[in-house]
Amino acid sequence: MERHEGAITKRQLGRFLALVGAVGFVAILMIDVIDVGRPGGIGPAQRMALGLALACALIGLSLIPRGDAPA
Amino acid sequence: MNGAPRQFHIALMLAASLALLFALLIYLLYAANLISFPYDYDQGEGFELHDTVLFSRFQLPYRDTERYPFYASNYPPLFHIMAAPFVWLFGPSYWYGRLLGFLASLVSAGAIAYAVYRDGERQRWIALLAGLAFLSSNFVYHIGPLFRQHTMMVTFETLAMVMLAGAFPRRDKRGIAAALILLICAGYTKQLAAITAASALVWMFLRAPWRAIRWSLAFALGGAAAFLWLNVASGGQWWIQAIVANVNDFTPDQATGLFILWFKLHGLLLFPAVILLFYELYFDRLSIYSIWLVFSALLGGLASGTWGAGDSYFVTSIAALCILSGIFFSRLLTSDWRLPRFISHESLTKLSRAGLIIVPLLYLGYARATLKMPTDGAFEPLAKALGVAANVREDFYDSATFLVGGYARIGYFLTDADWQAGAEILRLIDETDKPVLSEEAGFTIAAGREVVTNPTQLRNLHLAGRFDGAQLIEMIERGEFGIVILRAHFYPPPVLAAVGGHYEHAHSIHMNGFDYSILYPKERNGSKGTPDDNRLPD
Repeated sequence: MERHEGAITKRQLGRFLALVGAVGFVAILMIDVIDVGRPGGIGPAQRMALGLALACALIGLSLIPRGDAPA
Repeated sequence: MNGAPRQFHIALMLAASLALLFALLIYLLYAANLISFPYDYDQGEGFELHDTVLFSRFQLPYRDTERYPFYASNYPPLFHIMAAPFVWLFGPSYWYGRLLGFLASLVSAGAIAYAVYRDGERQRWIALLAGLAFLSSNFVYHIGPLFRQHTMMVTFETLAMVMLAGAFPRRDKRGIAAALILLICAGYTKQLAAITAASALVWMFLRAPWRAIRWSLAFALGGAAAFLWLNVASGGQWWIQAIVANVNDFTPDQATGLFILWFKLHGLLLFPAVILLFYELYFDRLSIYSIWLVFSALLGGLASGTWGAGDSYFVTSIAALCILSGIFFSRLLTSDWRLPRFISHESLTKLSRAGLIIVPLLYLGYARATLKMPTDGAFEPLAKALGVAANVREDFYDSATFLVGGYARIGYFLTDADWQAGAEILRLIDETDKPVLSEEAGFTIAAGREVVTNPTQLRNLHLAGRFDGAQLIEMIERGEFGIVILRAHFYPPPVLAAVGGHYEHAHSIHMNGFDYSILYPKERNGSKGTPDDNRLPD
């Protein structure tokens, strides 16, 4: 039988993904805030990255209730 | 499962097997057609051959490009070292590098089938289909039998991940060490393997953080030791040529186009792979293959948008999705799930029964989505029956088409006209005793001349501010090259400007779908070339 050896739990993984997603989302938005002179606003690549960051955060939040089960 | 449903399942599985075996047949024919061709089929093959020749002489290809012959390589050494013994036996030739790449792709397919069999309830037929599905991919197909290191990198990666998946949970130290050595081999075959290495380390960390950290340190030490040795042995050129010159421009449209194409071709297997990933995420433990798929698809896909990259950057993710989808199908058929209790056993049995039909249909659909084949000769009746017509050349169908930027525009079969065109370029080289400046090394190697320059490397170094090119430009201006052969004008702009100012176009020779421009010094004596277009017939 395989030992869990202090494996990362689904809750820990969920928190990590939620944090990465949230920070990523804000950072991508900040590109436009900081780089005010850049034309075109939020481009397609940026929209895709925002979607990925949002998905990452939502998956992370949904994992937290899975508790101490090993990831 | 008895009677008609089982027979129907077997009939569909046979149909899926036949469809994927047909893809394998086309792959074998393509490899057989290509392997003995003595010139570049894909741009850059000749430089990989030249690297192999240098290693066979115990010389490193990481050199100062400011000095004649202005040559350096940006690729790690392992694939070329593996091919070097063939140079001792057979001299410089393309066939053994292409054969190594082709065999490596078969080994990858075998490793995928083994992983599905071992980790997916020992379903032999599904395992076979998963291996064949890898070889059926359009992306795998055209890069497999090339003298390129990419396929070998994927093979090392696949072997490493399959080995690590078994060894790490069992605490099998020899197995883990062997898997990590294979990952280092992958990295020293091509730098892109760093993505797979990262996914392996993350997976180990998720399962056993402290043990993962210890193994990661050993892994990093091994990799860094090889890196330092190469840098010292090459006088620092390894860093400049293999690392600095590898940072290229990013084209978002290229990456987006390739992502969409990857999804269109592989979506039928990607969906089940992603379902298994989410199942593992919420109800089981994440497998190494799931982490591998996420990393290789996202990061490999992103990297595919860089200049000089392309669809081959997705091949690693295709190996991962073939394994994951195969395991998903195996578990679907055997109802091997750990789901919450509110999902009844009866529901799972019904799902399993549906799987009997769905699984072979998905493989059949995938075979159709990745179809590529000649449309002439013996294949003409079949092409008509399948309703496909040539769409990339006069005699070849590729479901991926050639419309997406970064998609390698190869895969069709070579004709006698391609061989004749190569021989004609060789004849023109033989007319001069002077050095040859060729954008592809194949011609100079076949003519027994010294390989001068590696244009894409010079371009990348120029963009990184690491190539001046004064000596090369002086040689061009003095007309010291007897002949210049251009195809894609990859040289840095100052070099192209010097060629344009001091050489004139004499011939265009059509070979392998591309026009090769033959230029001579403007002031050359005697047979001063007036521009003509003696393109050989296809």
